[in-house]
Amino acid sequence: MNRGESQSRWRRGWRRQLKPIALSLAISLGLGGCAGRGPEPPVALDSYYRDEQPALSGDGRLLAFVSGRDGTQSILLYDLQRRRFIDLPNLNRDDAIAESPSLSYSGRYIVYLASDRGRPEIELYDRITRRTQVLSSGYRGWVRHPRISPDGRYIVFQTGRRGQWDIEIIDRGPNIELDRQQ
Amino acid sequence: MKDVKPLGIDKIAIIKRFKLLRLSLYLSLVTALSSCAAYPRLVNSPVDPGGRSLNSLAADISPAISGRYIVFVSEREQRQDIYLYDRQTQRTIALPGLNSLDTIAESPGVSADGRYIVFAGNRRGRSGIFIYDRETRQLRDLSENLDATVRNPSISANGSTVAFEANLNGQWDILVYNRNGQPLDLPTPVR
Repeated sequence: MNRGESQSRWRRGWRRQLKPIALSLAISLGLGGCAGRGPEPPVALDSYYRDEQPALSGDGRLLAFVSGRDGTQSILLYDLQRRRFIDLPNLNRDDAIAESPSLSYSGRYIVYLASDRGRPEIELYDRITRRTQVLSSGYRGWVRHPRISPDGRYIVFQTGRRGQWDIEIIDRGPNIELDRQQ
Repeated sequence: MKDVKPLGIDKIAIIKRFKLLRLSLYLSLVTALSSCAAYPRLVNSPVDPGGRSLNSLAADISPAISGRYIVFVSEREQRQDIYLYDRQTQRTIALPGLNSLDTIAESPGVSADGRYIVFAGNRRGRSGIFIYDRETRQLRDLSENLDATVRNPSISANGSTVAFEANLNGQWDILVYNRNGQPLDLPTPVR
């Protein structure tokens, strides 16, 4: 074995090691750059789980729906322009099933059906105050399928109060903050 | 023993005045609370046996409200049809060419100007998401080229966008189209 031969072997060995090092460096840099700065990649609306009951905001920008993806049935809100989910703090509770969502014009108000002790109630969630209000408390009769008007003042729903399905309208009154309209 | 002094006239007057004050306080409180409790309240929606109102003697279901319009499904003609109610005139509006004898209509929605009505229709075992234009009186199947069962459509109040459910991969997924039936460019989940 002469000197030149051992040197070239050393070089080849170094090269062999260099490849995975460079690769792992590139991957970590790429991932780090992804998570750290720059815009986040868009997120898909649908999942492997059932995604149901879509409701568009009046301006067509936001989409509320019911998803089974987190092991529970919860209401999710998706921004169709930014292609990302929007947080709904205090809306989905562990002890209640939420279904049948509907949105006002800009999506400020979300009206949905919530069942906690067997009886479904119509609830209104305000995305600005992050508070929930029960609209059907004291109402005698089964309620289903609530839908809010784009300005946020009226809610229509299906009722079984008279022993058959009828339609009723709730007026939230002239003093509420209206969602902006066209 | 203590001397019990009889109440003077002025003292009785003070008590009387206090009672009056308390009464007026109660009254103002009651009116304040009841005006508070006035909303949210139910709007009177009477039953019209003639079938031109929101409610009828048959089942009226799946309402949606947008602007002055309420769209819903009714069985008042012994079939499952779509009706459009105008809150200003308090009458239903005729929808020529929308309801057909061989179609079960479900889950309607309406744009705020009342021009576009979207609903799920089931005709001879095949489901479709239909959009009806009140101006041209034309009915169009948005899901025509989709080989899937579809249901539960929603139209935005500005009439630009329609979302609905489709069972494409053995489960319910949500698809979002524009009014002309083109799918919105949205990222799909990795399968």
